[in-house]
Amino acid sequence: MIKIIDTTLTTLDKYLLQKSDLYEFCKLLALIGVEYIELSKKMYDSMGKLPEGLSCKFLLHIDNVFDLPLYEKEGFYRFIYRHADGDVNIISEYQVNDIREIVQLKAHTNTSQVRIVGLDDMLCKDYVSEMNEIRKIFKRSEINFCPENTYKCATALAVQWILSGGKSITTSFCGSGNKASTEEVIMALRLAIRHKPNRDLSVLRELAALFEQVTGTAINSKKSIIGKDIFKIEAGIHADAVLKNPATYEAYDPSIVGGMTTLVLGKHSGRNAVRRKLLEHSIPIQDNFTIEKILKYVQGYSIQNSRSLTDEEFVRIARGVIMNERKKAHY
Amino acid sequence: MKEKRHIIDTTLRDGEQGPGIALGVEQKIMIAKLLDELGVYEIEAGIPCLGKAEIESLERIIDTATTSKISVWSRMNKEDVKYSIACKPDIIHIGVPVSYVQIYNKFRKNKAWVQKMILECVEVALKHRTEVTVGFEDASRADVGFLVTLAMTLKKEGVNTIRLADTVGVLMVQKTREIVESIVSNVDIDIEIHAHNDLGMAVANSIEGAKAGAKYVDCTLFGLGERAGNCNMYDFIYATDSLYDYGIQKEEIRKIENAVKDMFYCVN
Repeated sequence: MIKIIDTTLTTLDKYLLQKSDLYEFCKLLALIGVEYIELSKKMYDSMGKLPEGLSCKFLLHIDNVFDLPLYEKEGFYRFIYRHADGDVNIISEYQVNDIREIVQLKAHTNTSQVRIVGLDDMLCKDYVSEMNEIRKIFKRSEINFCPENTYKCATALAVQWILSGGKSITTSFCGSGNKASTEEVIMALRLAIRHKPNRDLSVLRELAALFEQVTGTAINSKKSIIGKDIFKIEAGIHADAVLKNPATYEAYDPSIVGGMTTLVLGKHSGRNAVRRKLLEHSIPIQDNFTIEKILKYVQGYSIQNSRSLTDEEFVRIARGVIMNERKKAHY
Repeated sequence: MKEKRHIIDTTLRDGEQGPGIALGVEQKIMIAKLLDELGVYEIEAGIPCLGKAEIESLERIIDTATTSKISVWSRMNKEDVKYSIACKPDIIHIGVPVSYVQIYNKFRKNKAWVQKMILECVEVALKHRTEVTVGFEDASRADVGFLVTLAMTLKKEGVNTIRLADTVGVLMVQKTREIVESIVSNVDIDIEIHAHNDLGMAVANSIEGAKAGAKYVDCTLFGLGERAGNCNMYDFIYATDSLYDYGIQKEEIRKIENAVKDMFYCVN
């Protein structure tokens, strides 16, 4: 069984999250298939008690071993603590900044559960051998791998760890805290090995909105899986093909993640795209000459403003051109 | 000494193809000038068949480039290739669909038709003594055996570089290595890796492609491109600075991004 620990709620300590937001966040994570949620002490203290009725288990990240007795009876599945060799309730965490430090892990082989954090540079090296080396060192331990994202390779490393036989990884929503993105890893595993293929991921939109709200930040509109613009299409060369058969240019059905393919018009649009947009707005399809004229205006407006057109702008242009052509016809 | 690898910038072609981006002639020329000064090996500057404005910007970019090779993108269509020839670029790139979903569903043809069409297009371009590169579109979902066979055939016809395009962004690093190694171990041909970021793995797949033997890596400023974008040039060079020599200072990439960011509505 693949174990994904989502650690987002250890990376947001600098924000003020309400109890209701935290409960909602956990609920949405559970809905996308996360079965293990890691909390910081601050987040747990804000919650007061763990949410009930969710299908996931909770872990607590502690910075001081003396905190352990305070939380031992709160219902946590495991605790995570740096260099806590030995205790069965604790996942012992080790930061490994680059692959040359892997050898130092040999000092901790008596640990039953271990988390390796870091190794940002692993993909630039012989990661197959290095992953095998980690498995060899901890051959009697359960290993959780938490790659960091300094070189934008964390998702690939987390997925590769699983594809090469690993069972457990740590990720965070939107890559918060420089980790692999939970949503990218879930989708990659779904496509690569049909991991939880029937899981409804459409709540990712809600999760993204909640994340933006509690952090006061905007998720990049091009962010994979959850960016608001990733399913927009404009290029004439591809738009027609996507609209006829989405599988030609889309890796997965956007509705799986709560999105939908949206045609926008701009510099690269073609006549077919104009026709489709007229139809979308219940404007009667025009003759080729008028379509061509609308297209020219659309392209010019787009270049002038260095962006695609909004639907309102398109409708205004289309109606203007059509009216003008009618007037000409009357003279 | 670090191994040499080459950056091909496709901001002005695949990057601009993304929705929300609409560059004017002068803007394209300015970006090309900055990329040329940066020292990228090749600038994929646009698509001639798009019309007069595109051709004007391409011709001016081709006239003024001093360091970078300028390439233009063409569909697998002889008319499109003729538009490309007319611009007199250093390189004509022709995209060929190679996955079954593209060949059988989009074009409703078969592999023999694909092979015939691409050879005809390559012949037209090579007659004009222009360097030709061929892009295997949707290579990540294609039959690797077909890719190897097609690469062999194209090499015989005089094509020296094949682009492996992860058109829908579904490559995993293991698969990237498998595809690149399958081709380089069977055909004496250069490989160019072209990754999309739909699963957040464009940089990782580009790194793995380069490690497996790809000589050229396609990138864009800001990681611009369709859907979740392409391989981000700064991120790629930052990650692999200790492995390869691109003849590019990564700090200069940030300067260019700062200079042109107002042209891209979607990055502001």
